[in-house]
Amino acid sequence: MSAGLEIRDPIHGFIYREPHEQDIVDSKAFQRLRRLKQLALANLVYPGANHTRFEHSLGAFHIAGRIAARLLVSPADSRLIRLAALLHDIGHGPFSHVSEPILKKHSQAGKISLKPKQQVHELISAQIIREDPSLAGLILETDRIRIVDLLNGEYGYSVFKEIVSGPLDVDKQDYLLRDSYFCGVKYGVFDLERLVNSLTVHQDDEDKFLAISSDGVHVLEQFVLAKYYMSTQVYRHRIRLITDEMIGRAIGLGIEVDGIGWLKRLYSYDGSNEYIAEYMEWNDERLTTKILEEPPETYACSIFQRLRDRRLLKCILDVDHNELSNPASRMMVFTGSDDFHRPLEKLIAERWGYDKNLVICSPVTFKSAARTESEISVIGPVRPRFFREESTLFSAVNLAINEQRFQVYAPAVYKDERDHKRQHREFYNEIIAMIDKLSDPQTSLSLDK
Amino acid sequence: MNAAQFLLSLIDASGGGIQGRTLLQKRAFFVSLLSGIDSGLGFDAYYYGPYSSTLDNTVAQLKNLDFIDEDDTPFGIISGGFEMRRYDYKLTSQGVEVVKKLRNTNEYRSIHENVEKIEAAGNPNYFELSIAAKAFFILRKQRRPMSTEEIKREAEKFNWDIQPHSLEKAVTFLQRLELTRGAEKA
Repeated sequence: MSAGLEIRDPIHGFIYREPHEQDIVDSKAFQRLRRLKQLALANLVYPGANHTRFEHSLGAFHIAGRIAARLLVSPADSRLIRLAALLHDIGHGPFSHVSEPILKKHSQAGKISLKPKQQVHELISAQIIREDPSLAGLILETDRIRIVDLLNGEYGYSVFKEIVSGPLDVDKQDYLLRDSYFCGVKYGVFDLERLVNSLTVHQDDEDKFLAISSDGVHVLEQFVLAKYYMSTQVYRHRIRLITDEMIGRAIGLGIEVDGIGWLKRLYSYDGSNEYIAEYMEWNDERLTTKILEEPPETYACSIFQRLRDRRLLKCILDVDHNELSNPASRMMVFTGSDDFHRPLEKLIAERWGYDKNLVICSPVTFKSAARTESEISVIGPVRPRFFREESTLFSAVNLAINEQRFQVYAPAVYKDERDHKRQHREFYNEIIAMIDKLSDPQTSLSLDK
Repeated sequence: MNAAQFLLSLIDASGGGIQGRTLLQKRAFFVSLLSGIDSGLGFDAYYYGPYSSTLDNTVAQLKNLDFIDEDDTPFGIISGGFEMRRYDYKLTSQGVEVVKKLRNTNEYRSIHENVEKIEAAGNPNYFELSIAAKAFFILRKQRRPMSTEEIKREAEKFNWDIQPHSLEKAVTFLQRLELTRGAEKA
């Protein structure tokens, strides 16, 4: 067993680990996280954004330990909470969240069982924690099962899971600060010390929940604002959205059109240990290299070449939902999924002579805070209240978060700024007209079949 | 029909409004089941009965798109000291405009017919509908005819504390909708 270590971290200073925790960090499964970038290709916008899931997981582990200590969690449960935080991202695949929809689409539904709101990478995480050979020798089987249960909200009090995954979780507490630091922006900064020290436990007849004391309302507002600003300035940055969509489209077309067998296998999770063993060999760099080794005429390779050379698709339409004045259009654009978007992409491609597979329609929505931060319990002197009732800022922030946009990306080329403006006027007028035409009830119902 | 179209149609067919998140969830569950419309809601059996996170997300999205309004009303203090609120949903004028274009579809007609069936079968409130949904969940899981007492015993395994008279009412409701036979077949 290794000696315990302290490690320097740019966000938290020293992070201390017990010897058994150090061994887990040194395991092959955990070391793979060094090769998964936290923000995929956000470094094409923010060149410093090269940090990985490895240091983020360490940061989450560190904060989890601090919170567990503050809430006087028993040493045994505190250890599990720290390990759950350490391992919460262990199942991420190449480009992390970007590939989640592809995993969802190609995983073998009959062989796996996703719970509501559960993502495929979370199911993979659970299987890795339970069965990965490099972890099995380091964590007792009963603890591995407890960690998985804790991550699923099925071990101990609700507060245990909420520390690792919930509106106030250590995941967000770390990534907002870390992403902000590595992107070189200040939007994600909040007073971590104050937030951690404001956390408390609220108890009813049957359970215990994570809550904040009434003097923590302002730091919680700061936290919610940090999340909002990071969403608008980093996570939903125009270029980042384009690169994410391009990665997703390249992989999707690589499987469905190019027929690349190894790519299909990578995204066809079937719950088997053989799959997991193969999956654990993949990371951002390997996937990029392998795709670039495919024939250049394949979509997967050609789109990755564009990404490598930063020859990105252009955003040819960017509208707020209010700009779509026809309610039927708004409805189909934001709720119509592929049944609506693929025909629209085809129409756009035909009109401007693009390859239809390189036109991408993308609704950009923010997850409402109405069901998350709004229901955080604030423990006041008389009775507990919800954060939305205590915060004067929250409703305004939540209103802003609710903004929904619709964007279209395509391989447009502009001769100069004047041509850029001219083409954008054309794109705007004609694409809105196409949307209105496609949203006609007769058309939309036939598309719906 | 996608989840958003289904939800707007359901609210419209229910008279333009539905009172309470639970009633919305359970009514959507039964109408999906009876109509056979696959709108991708993907109800899952939770310990508190069938629940669709997709439906929850769709509600939030339709609110953001100004197709439905949500009003909340306080209705007392529960264990833990929190004030509880009931969330009511109704179509906005723009929501009505969208749904008008759906009214001629077979899916809308089926939703409407099944809302009427539910109303004719006793029009249970959110609590009664929840128990009926749990009872149906048990029947479907067991795949055989069961007595009320058997259902109650099975419910206890899920920590569902269902009072006999509530269960009787729920089973009657399911029988009127011919869902007990459906459960046997399932």
